[in-house]
Amino acid sequence: MSLTPILMPQLGESIAEATVIDILVEAGALVQAGEDIIEVETQKATMNVTAPCAGIIDHYLVQPGDSYAVGETLGLIKPSSEEIPAHEPLSQPPSTQPKPEAPTPEPASPSSLPSEAPLRRSEARVKPTIKGLPVPAHITGAQYMSPRMKARMHELGLREADLAGVAGSGAGGRVTIQDFERFLSDLEETRLTRASSMRVAVADAMQRSWSRPLATVAQPVVLDTLLAHRSGLDPKPGPALYALRALAMALAENSATAGRLIGNQIAHPASIDIGFAVEADDGVLVPVIRGADRKPLQTMVAEYNQLVEAARHRKLPPQATGNSIATITNFGTFGLTWATPIPLPEQTLVLGLGAGRKAPYWDEGKEAFIPVLEAQLTLSFDHRVLDGGAAGRLLSRINALMSDPKHL
Amino acid sequence: MLMARLLDERLAQLYRAGRIFGGVFLGKGQEALSVSMGMVLNRQDVYAPLIRDGAGRLAFGESALDALRTCMGSPMGPMRGRDGNVHRGRPKEGYLPMISHLGASISVVNGALMAKRMKGEKKFVGIASIGDGATSTGAFHEAINQAAIEKLPLVLVVANNQYAYSTPTSSQFACQSLSQKAIGYGVSDHEVDGTSLTDCLKTMQDATDRARQGEGPQLVIANLLRLCGHGEHDDAHYISPELKASSVGADCLKLAENTLQSDYHISKESLEIWKEETVLEINQSIEQVQREGAPDPYHHSWKSLISRELCEHS
Amino acid sequence: MSVTYLEAIREAQAYLLEHDSRVYIYGQDVGAFGGAFKATKHLANRFPGRVMDAPISEDAMIGSAVGAAIEGMRPIIEIQFADFSTVGLNQVVNQAATLFWRTETPCPITLRLPSGGTSGGGPFHSQCLESIYAHFPGLVVCTPATVEDAYSMLIESVTLDDPVIFCEHKYLYYHLKAESLPKDALPLGKARIARAGRDCTVVTYSAMLHECLEAAEEMSAEGIELEVVDLRTVKPLDTDTIIASVARTGRLLCAAEGWPWGGVNAEVISRVVAEGFNLLDAPPQRINAKDTPIPYHPKLWSVHRPAAASIMAAVRNVLRS
Repeated sequence: MSLTPILMPQLGESIAEATVIDILVEAGALVQAGEDIIEVETQKATMNVTAPCAGIIDHYLVQPGDSYAVGETLGLIKPSSEEIPAHEPLSQPPSTQPKPEAPTPEPASPSSLPSEAPLRRSEARVKPTIKGLPVPAHITGAQYMSPRMKARMHELGLREADLAGVAGSGAGGRVTIQDFERFLSDLEETRLTRASSMRVAVADAMQRSWSRPLATVAQPVVLDTLLAHRSGLDPKPGPALYALRALAMALAENSATAGRLIGNQIAHPASIDIGFAVEADDGVLVPVIRGADRKPLQTMVAEYNQLVEAARHRKLPPQATGNSIATITNFGTFGLTWATPIPLPEQTLVLGLGAGRKAPYWDEGKEAFIPVLEAQLTLSFDHRVLDGGAAGRLLSRINALMSDPKHL
Repeated sequence: MLMARLLDERLAQLYRAGRIFGGVFLGKGQEALSVSMGMVLNRQDVYAPLIRDGAGRLAFGESALDALRTCMGSPMGPMRGRDGNVHRGRPKEGYLPMISHLGASISVVNGALMAKRMKGEKKFVGIASIGDGATSTGAFHEAINQAAIEKLPLVLVVANNQYAYSTPTSSQFACQSLSQKAIGYGVSDHEVDGTSLTDCLKTMQDATDRARQGEGPQLVIANLLRLCGHGEHDDAHYISPELKASSVGADCLKLAENTLQSDYHISKESLEIWKEETVLEINQSIEQVQREGAPDPYHHSWKSLISRELCEHS
Repeated sequence: MSVTYLEAIREAQAYLLEHDSRVYIYGQDVGAFGGAFKATKHLANRFPGRVMDAPISEDAMIGSAVGAAIEGMRPIIEIQFADFSTVGLNQVVNQAATLFWRTETPCPITLRLPSGGTSGGGPFHSQCLESIYAHFPGLVVCTPATVEDAYSMLIESVTLDDPVIFCEHKYLYYHLKAESLPKDALPLGKARIARAGRDCTVVTYSAMLHECLEAAEEMSAEGIELEVVDLRTVKPLDTDTIIASVARTGRLLCAAEGWPWGGVNAEVISRVVAEGFNLLDAPPQRINAKDTPIPYHPKLWSVHRPAAASIMAAVRNVLRS
């Protein structure tokens, strides 16, 4: 009886090869059909290759640590009964993307197989090691929205994100107009309240901002010196204003960290205008203090307080909105210790100030833990413009300025 | 004839001055034959002139103004700029506008004659003018055959000017004379010296009389020579000098002038006056046409059907 | 009482001959013989001198029609098979179609073209040429699919002051029957929703209408409801009705017996994509005859042109995408 090849199966969309991690069953052993015999790893997950039929593994052709292409023969098995493995079509449609070595793409019909490919290719089944790992959707079709869909969505003011929960029944899993209309009619059963225009505006801004790769770094800042400094002032600047001033001074020293990436160019800020988040009604407003690097802390208090009042009542003057290069957000007032805020879509940076808590601090001089009031400073940034190092240096500088506020 | 010749000369001038778009085709050498056609026709008849029938058109009733308007693309002309040069006519007046496909106009004349017969009109006739080249077309064959079967009062006039563009008659047909075709179709034939005005008038009268009387189609073959290029873009260098020197190459206009002077005692001065008057008329017409300007493409009716509701927007 | 598609054409001509003295019929064998398909049977007797036999001269037949039209007549030219009309193509497209544009004189001629395939017809007795005539400006092109339309559209065509190419389908001559002749009709240029539907619009005309309706019936059993649009005239094309239908269904299949390159299907799809792009839920598709001359053997012929089964497969394709 002839030997049946054990082939590297199709392991998922756009997977062209996998690395053999481990041979699970040695040559010479008797296996059942479908039993795990080789463990392989792809970029996405670790999976097992299973025996195409019951029988004795004759020999392997692979080494752990090496990579093999989808469809390649990994070993040979001697079927144990007259039952010759049936040639069934793949459970998944064959990849429509060309293999790296083949110059011409295969035909994209889901119901036909390439004529030369050995039918045995279909045998081995993939059992993911981690149960429930989703097999990625067919890219051709999954994200396609027909003109009619787009027009209807536009008509209703919906965006792609709003349909995230809609399962598609169309080709390649795409959302068809029928899925969409069903989704809409189901919505009619749901209690709906009208989102305020503020809410819609914030949603739009956050959606646009999120289209960038954002990252966050954090450092604790000890507030004791700052609070002591503050107690001696009248009127008293809020902690957020200290952070604002520190950020402004740090950016004045190196404004490239607040630059914006446009194509392959960095657009540099013209003026150190910093915004700060104020909760108002159903959303957030961001009034702006212009040229905050040139205004000492004390001189900004009145302006800051006026702007907060105006923002709360949604009466910000136009010159105090827009065109800021970074934002401060003081979510500590909500009792949050740390968070990863999302910068405004036109900005690269947002500095967050968490709630202050008493925490033990190792004092090297005293060689003891002393209680201090500590808050988390978080800096969320567009990772295309700066990396951890630059973000870290910026944050450290802000930290240093806030820890020794007499220079602010 | 004079008008036709002088008009032609003027058109050639305008063409060379770049004032005419497209091609210009003259009828030099065929004026005698052509004018004879126009002169034997009545208002209720049908006339399908061809490329070199400037004289016939004028004789049938076209004004020099209309001829110039069409050649110069005036929106006031009968074709309103939609067609030009010799592709002009007034169908409802029996003056059919040709299309470029030679021989195609003959069956149109047939149809008009069939219609007149169905309507009960009497003693009408239709003249279709073609050249030696058109006798090779399928359309010619079908139409003369059709006219013969239906015994229509068609007078089919072939101006055998020896060349179809650069093609001599030896490459156009193999029979000895075009008039031999008549017996093949079962029609009557006439052959005439195309350079003689008197002969042409006589033959055309004879042919149309017979047709009017119900003797069926008449094929008239006129022998002459084209005294110009196929179009004004053509220098006609291929025309055989022997032919030019022979009797068929005589200028019918000069011959007519001679005849007028010798047989009809018209003075040279009279001829000069006629020439001057004609040139004046032509110049005035040209001035008028030039004032008429060009068709306005943005205020033009771009509809190809008379049923507006069935026109598609483009 | 029932009337066939062919009888409807004959009755329409009888009506015209009777009510309009300007009408006459000219074609090969139309006189005493009554026409190759008997479309003019007995008419020569009833209307002496107005139903005339022509020699085999399509160029002269059509050219003479133009001349007669200039003189005020309303000729109906019966071309024996649409396939032979190309012999007279020059007179149609350069003489008849340009007369009004060039001279403001209308050309009210009607050319009847027995079109379309029948089993065993072969390459030169089966052609559908509406696409080539529609291409030339100055012509109206009719493609009646029903007995009623064969009647009323022919009468309207002859009444129209413009040249009309009347593509009557030979297969429907004796196969299609109706209860009676209609009293009224949609005007020329308007398409008709032959079957209301929901899941896909199928735009078609002439004999293909019946194949599409058959396909629609079968698919209905599977819960797929096709909306079938009968164009009636392919030039002018009733773009409004087509787009309104696509607005309802979001999907389009065009089915025609003509050849694939250019043609009615291509024209419809081009317009729907340009004017109704945002109505489409899937790329519009078409199904045509194969890009070869029409085969003679009935077995070959049966797959050469679209039929209910291939139309269904094409619809499924549209629904799947």
